[in-house]
Amino acid sequence: MPDRLDITWIVLIALALATIVLPPLVPRALPGNAVLLALAAIKGRRIALDFMDLRAVPALWRGLVSAWIVVVVLFAWLASAAVTLI
Amino acid sequence: MIWVLIFSELAAFGLFLGTFAVARVIHPSVFAAGQAALDSNLAGLNTVVLVTSGWAAARAAKAARASEKPTSRRWLAAAMLLGGLFVALKLAEYAGEVGQGIGLETSPFFTLYFLLTGFHLLHVCLGIVILAVVCRRAEASGVETGTAFWHMVDLVWIVMFPILYLVR
Repeated sequence: MPDRLDITWIVLIALALATIVLPPLVPRALPGNAVLLALAAIKGRRIALDFMDLRAVPALWRGLVSAWIVVVVLFAWLASAAVTLI
Repeated sequence: MIWVLIFSELAAFGLFLGTFAVARVIHPSVFAAGQAALDSNLAGLNTVVLVTSGWAAARAAKAARASEKPTSRRWLAAAMLLGGLFVALKLAEYAGEVGQGIGLETSPFFTLYFLLTGFHLLHVCLGIVILAVVCRRAEASGVETGTAFWHMVDLVWIVMFPILYLVR
């Protein structure tokens, strides 16, 4: 019977494959990049919560890791948007 | 203590990735050309390898918490083997790039690409050593510390991969 770790692994593999397959299906850079980086954020959060087991640590550590993921991914998307719009 | 190290590493990688994103805004055509020369399929395969290694490490920590030391050691061995495969695939990728005449000074893209992925690869190697050290005793606290570092390395790659290889 698969447990949470197994399910997280399957979800991560599926999202990793989607990261490779999806970009050519979204021809426009702005939404395409948003999809790619959203997938990265979802994968990162699953790793943090389930593999790192951050559900079991103080909220401060959980919040810091989640904030790191959001800030890096959002900054990368804003920079890519600047490249597209300039 | 391990969380202080992990957040220091995440801060360093975050700054590196931010620098990469800003440099891309300054040199969009150079970065587009550099990205086109990368093997995103091989890097995508490496994502699957590292995620699977992270799963093995998480299972090792779970077994260690249940005082199942032989099981924990087996999962740690699997995580290290997959980590070794990641290193081998990354070195093969570098060899392909060097074979195309690409180097650290080819362009700003490749300077940052080699620095970022090389810095990450060093962390993968360090992570394998840490997993090997905690594997000896396979005690819960040690395995949890070692695998937390390993998941940080996994997390950084998951974010780094699309930013370097795929974002247009």
